[in-house]
Amino acid sequence: MVRRRRPVAFARSGGLVEVRLGDEERDLVANLAGQFRSLLSEDAGPDQRRLYPTAYLDDPERDADYAALVHDDLLRSRLEAADVVSATVGNETLDPGELEQWMVVLNSLRLVIGTRLDISEADEFDPEAPDVAERSLLLWLGLLLEEAVEASLGFLR
Amino acid sequence: MTRAAMPDIDERLDEDVDEDVDTERPWIVLVWNDPINLMSYVAFVFRKLFGYSRQKADKLMLDVHHKGRAVVSSGTREKAEMDVFRLHEHGLWATMQQDD
Repeated sequence: MVRRRRPVAFARSGGLVEVRLGDEERDLVANLAGQFRSLLSEDAGPDQRRLYPTAYLDDPERDADYAALVHDDLLRSRLEAADVVSATVGNETLDPGELEQWMVVLNSLRLVIGTRLDISEADEFDPEAPDVAERSLLLWLGLLLEEAVEASLGFLR
Repeated sequence: MTRAAMPDIDERLDEDVDEDVDTERPWIVLVWNDPINLMSYVAFVFRKLFGYSRQKADKLMLDVHHKGRAVVSSGTREKAEMDVFRLHEHGLWATMQQDD
C-alpha cells in the first residue's frame, strides 16, 4: 500500500460532493472509463489479475468454484461503475453513491495499471523512466482516489 | 495511532489448515498487503463494508501494511464468502480459510 498526500478534487458540500476537476481532467476520466469498459469486455489477461483475486489459497478446487460463481457479478458491478462515471463525468456534484462508483473505477484502474507496471512499495517516482506516462497516471489516479476517500468519510455512520 | 490489545493471530495462521474440514470451526477472512492499494482507501473499505470504527479500521489497515495481512472478519463459510466477494468487488485482495 502507498501513502499519498491530499489534493482537492472532491469536496463535500452538504449531502453531495462537489467535483472540482477541469475540462481536461474530466476528458481524461471519461476516456479512462471508456478504456476500462473495453478492457473488461476482453478476456481477463494478466493485467486484470488483481480484479479477480484468489479466494482460497490452499484449495484450487474451491477457488475455481468461487471464481465461476462471482466472475459475472464482479464484471457487472464494474461495468455499472464505469457507466455511472461516464454518465456523471460532466456533473458539478455527485451523490455519495455516484462518488462510490467513481472510487471503484479509480481503484480498479490503479490495480490494472499498477499490475501492468509491476509496481512495488519501494518504487520511487522517476521522471526519466521509460514508462513515466503510465506512472504519472497511476499517481494522478491515486490523488483523485485519496480525495474521494476523504470526501466520502463524512458520509459514513 | 494507538494499537488496541489483540490476541496474536499470526501463530495460528502459520499452522497448516487441517484437511479434515470441521463444519463447527468458523471461517476467517484475511486481507493481504499489496503495493498498489492506498492505505486510506483500504481503511475506508473496512469501515464501509463492516461498519468498523475509524480506530478499528485503521488498526486493521496498519496490520495489513506492516504484518502483510490481517483477519478482518469471521463467521460461517457463507458469510466469509460474501465478505470476500465484497472485498474483491472493492479491489482488495481477500482470502478465506477455516480457523484452527
